[in-house]
Order: sequence, then C-alpha cells, then structure tokens
Amino acid sequence: MRILIVEDDASLASGLGRILQAEGFATDVAARGEQAVEAARHERFDLVILDIGLPGIDGFEVLRRLRASEAQRVPVLVLTAREAIGDRVHGLDLGADDYMAKPFAMPELTARVRALIRRSQAQTGPRIQHGPLTLDTVARRAYLSNEPLELAAREWAVLEVLLGKVEKIVSKESIIQAVAGWDEELSPNAIEVYISRLHSKLERAGVRIRTVRGFGYMLEEFKAPEGG
Amino acid sequence: MAAPRPHPSLRGHLLRLLLVPLAVVLAASAVFSYYLALEPATEAYDTSLVNASLALAETIRVRGGVTTVDLPHIAEQILRTDRADKVYYVVRDPAGRPVSGDADIPLPPPELRADNPAFYDARFGGATVRAVTQWAACGSELCTITVAETTRKRDRLVREILLGSVLPQALLAALTLVLVWFAVTRGLGPLRRVSEEMRKRSAHDLRPIEPAQAPEETRPLIEALNQLLLQVQELHRNQQRFLANAAHQLRTPLAGLQAHAELALSQPLAEAARAGLEHVHSQTVRTARLANQLLALARAEPGGRVEPHERVELRALVEQVANEWVHRALQRELDLGFELEAVEVDGDAFLLREAIGNLLHNALEYVPRGGHITVRTGGERVAFLEVEDDGPGIPESERARVIERFYRVPGTTGTGSGLGLAIVHEIASAHGASLCIDAGAAGKGCRVRIEFPYGQR
Repeated sequence: MRILIVEDDASLASGLGRILQAEGFATDVAARGEQAVEAARHERFDLVILDIGLPGIDGFEVLRRLRASEAQRVPVLVLTAREAIGDRVHGLDLGADDYMAKPFAMPELTARVRALIRRSQAQTGPRIQHGPLTLDTVARRAYLSNEPLELAAREWAVLEVLLGKVEKIVSKESIIQAVAGWDEELSPNAIEVYISRLHSKLERAGVRIRTVRGFGYMLEEFKAPEGG
Repeated sequence: MAAPRPHPSLRGHLLRLLLVPLAVVLAASAVFSYYLALEPATEAYDTSLVNASLALAETIRVRGGVTTVDLPHIAEQILRTDRADKVYYVVRDPAGRPVSGDADIPLPPPELRADNPAFYDARFGGATVRAVTQWAACGSELCTITVAETTRKRDRLVREILLGSVLPQALLAALTLVLVWFAVTRGLGPLRRVSEEMRKRSAHDLRPIEPAQAPEETRPLIEALNQLLLQVQELHRNQQRFLANAAHQLRTPLAGLQAHAELALSQPLAEAARAGLEHVHSQTVRTARLANQLLALARAEPGGRVEPHERVELRALVEQVANEWVHRALQRELDLGFELEAVEVDGDAFLLREAIGNLLHNALEYVPRGGHITVRTGGERVAFLEVEDDGPGIPESERARVIERFYRVPGTTGTGSGLGLAIVHEIASAHGASLCIDAGAAGKGCRVRIEFPYGQR
C-alpha cells in the first residue's frame, strides 16, 4: 500500500511518514502542490494525504487537478489547520473523502487511513475483506473464517452497507434507504432485528457491530479476540 | 480645582446668542418710539396749558396800580377741572406778589426766566407738576401767570405708548426664543434618531448608518461615524485574518510535535525516557486544545465575527461531528447516544460545532467508565441543543462560576483548562442564546442546555 503525503511542514511530513511506515505502508512526500499532481500522474497511490495550506497552488487546486487526471479515483484525506476550511470541507462536496483538523492523534489518523483504503478497495474489487469476514459482492456470499456464513438477503444487504463504511456511524435511515426496495416499507424496528441477528452471527469471530444510541450502527475495526 | 464645566448646550448657546441682540433692539426701539410719540403729545398738552394761561391773562385788571384778577367762581371751577389731573394757577403782579390762585407754585428755574412762555417741571402739592409761566400786560408793566398740572395723563400717555409699541415687540422676541427652542429640538431630531439606532445595535452590527433622512448639517458627523465603523470593520477583518494565520502557524508544528512524540512512544524506550516523552505528548495535546479554545474564544467575542450569520441545522451539525466523538467515547468505554430532531437556527456553524465539542469533551473527561452521555437537539417553541450525562455533575453552588474563564471546580482532576464552559457561554451569548446548567435526569449528573431565542426557528 502506497501513500502520498502532500505537506510542506517537513517535521510533520516526516512524522506522518514514519508513523505510516510503522503501520506497514510505503510513503512518499511532496512538499509542493505541483509536485504532488506530477507524482500522482506517473505513479499509482492507494491514498493521498493532502494539506490545504501549501505554498504555490493550494490543496483545493491540487484536489481539483487530481480529480481531473488519471488519478481521479484515489481516496484523498484532507488535513487542515483552518476552521474555515473545515467548514468548507464539511459543507461542500469538494471531492475529498475525509478530512482531519490539525493537530490530530495518530491512532485516529491511521484508523481513518485504513478505513479509506478499505473503502476504496471495496468499491473497486468484488471481494470485501474485514478481519475474518469476507464478502463476495458478485456471488453475494459471505464467509467467516473461510466458512460459508448463512445470511438472509436482507441481512446480507445490511452487512454490505456497514462494511462499506467501517469505523463510521451509519444512520438507521441510510440503512433503510439502502436495503428497502422501491415499493417496500421498512420500519426501524425491522432494521434492529437484522442487526441483532448479524450481531449474534459475527460476534463469536470478534467482528463487532456497535449500536450508537439514537443514531445508527457502526462496524468496529477488527481486533483479534483476546486469549485465543 | 476648577468646577466641572457643564456640557455646552447648542440650544442654550443659540438662545444666549439671540437674547442679547434681541434685548438691545427691543430697548432701542422702546426708547425711539417713546420719544417719537411723546414729543407731539407733550406739545399738545403744553399748548392747552398755554391756552389756559392766556384765558387767565384776560381776567387781569389793573386799577390805580393795583392788580386784581376778575375770575368768577364758576370760571375758576372750569379752569381747575380736568378729567385726570389737578390744575393749579397763580397770577403774580409786576412786583412778583401773588394776587390770585395757588401762591406757592414754583417759578421757572433761572435759566428759563427769559423764555415766554417757559415750560418746566416742578414739585407742587406733593406731586410732580408740569408748569408754564408767561407774561401778560398789566397796564404798562408785566405780570406773570403760571399754570401747572399734575402729570397723571402724561404718565398714562407714556404707559400707553410703551404698551402699544414695546409690548408687541417683546412678545415677538419671546416668540422668537420659543421658536428657536423648538427649532433646535426639531433640528436635532435626526441626530437623536441616529444615536437611538446606534444604541440599539449589537456590537456585531458594524453596518454604516443610513444618512437618508438626516439633514445636510448632520452629514459630516454621520459620514465621520461611518468612516470609523468602516475602520473598525477593517480592523476586525485583519484580526480574523491574523487569527486564521495564527491558527495555521500554531497547529501545524503542534501536529508535527504530536506525531513525533507518538512515534517515539511506539518504540522500545527506557522507563524514564518513556515517562518524559509521555509528558511531552500529553502537554502537546493540551497546548493544541488550548490554542483551539483561545481561537474559538477570540472568534466568539463581540466584533470577532463580521460574516453574516447563516442558517444552521442543528441535527445535521451534530451528525457531522458524531463520528469523531463516538470513537473517543468508545475508547473511554462510555455510551454516547443521540436524540436528534431537525431544527434550524441563525448562527455560526464553526462556533456551534466548537460549543458541542467543548460540551462533549467535558462529559468525556468527567464521566466515569460505563457512564452515559446523550446529545439532544430539537424544540417546539424554542430551538435547543443540550448534552446530558450521568457523571459527577456540577454542584449547584459552582454552576454560576464554571462559565468564568479559567475557573475550575475545586478538587477536579484532569487536564482541563477551565475554558470549556466559558467558551460555550460566550458562543451562546454571541448567538443571543441562553445557557442553562443543571442536574441531569433524576437529579444525577449534569445537563447543559443552549436555548436559542424565540423566532430563530
């Protein structure tokens, strides 16, 4: 996995690089926007970490050029030190996949980096992998520790939505929208039933679905169950 | 020490300025019209005195060197009768001895004795009299006849003249002063409207004053005020730019510092080095948070924001930040839940997010493991945003003080700066919203509620 870090602050760039390397990623650093666009044109990256406040062309322009180039589908995590930019990233669809305000905790950054890469691969590949859980989106089959997992169609659909956004809260409404057909009405209670069934089927393998009270659900990052 | 000077009053100044010339004109015109009217009138009265004296002259008889006055009683009555005044007369023989009438009427003063007739004022019978003395033939010699009358009708004439000419002018002057008084009040009306408008404004409102209805003379003042407002606005814009730059300049190196500290901590380290590095790391995190808080405070302060408010939907706003806070809550084994209803307010999205962040940060800091935190938005009549927890809560006696900057409840642990609730309070104030701190459900924990003013929905 290769990550392009676009950051003009040398200290932060080297810190980011070393942390991501420790997580098993390969990293390249570009200190200027033009350099970053050039690099992304010639080489394939799995993720771009992009600072907005750059000398020369700024991060927004880099993002625009990336989206217009061959690297248009690469996931981009925007870093910013300005709340006004945070506002814009929040409010507008600038084509960034996620954003973090400086300064940030490294575990949070690495978690988001992994989530973004996983999500982009899920969109491109037919198989989604999450710990011991594998979803074959073409055959519409699920495997848990390589054993076939029996799932009802609706359960499968709910799991697919959650796996598309690991570590992110998925609201009940968005699950209903993704799962229900045109002429169907699904109650929030029904979703709760599917979630609780999924929960009991996945829990023994250490894959956990969290309930966020009053909001929705979240598939937690997989951590190997302790004590074997 | 000099006594404090009272504020100079435009009205008083104008009135004083007008009063002096008006008084002078009034006095001059009174004197002028007095003499103009008095001369002919006095002459007419004097002529009637002369006529009386001429009539008397015809009654003088000289027989054998003895002068007598043959004035029948009825004629004397007629002579002495006047509607207003008492009339006196005396006839003196050539030797100067009074032969008839009131013997004590004074003769003319020496400088007038050559005049014929001589008119003069004198005292007689306890009153001022006007007298005329003239000569009459007494045989071959000259007698003197003096006729005098009290000045009552002359005085009345003076009064009438004064009343007739000076009173209307005095009234005109008084009317002028009253008109000036009201004209000044009216003329200053637009200025009062301007000051009223300025008084009603919030500190955030730096729009120029509309000079539409102001009179020409007040334009320079209004233009000067607008110029100042523009400068203040520019100053605030510069301050905002400075804040944004300061934030950037501060946060980037702090992010680097934090990254390197965390990286170093992930390596095998000697115990002492690890402890020191952990200290560096936690202080970095704290400094970063403090920098954010101070910037938020500066932004929430009056005049800190110049951009117009936007419509902010509270439910969407909470949902934006929910992800980040749910993860932090899970790390601390806290249950963070939401009860959200869509509701719109006029506000600043950044500041409101900062308020939610500070409330959640506090809850995460103080609620023990296994605790529950709930974020609510909604409102039927008034929009509200609240965070409730079942943690230790804030004692009632401390609730008023926790909104002071840098105040911390005695005995609290943790890395808080004492700015969190102060910031929430400032942000609420900047939105015209009220902040209410009380206990949570069943009297346990803490509930902080921001209620937005009615009509913001």
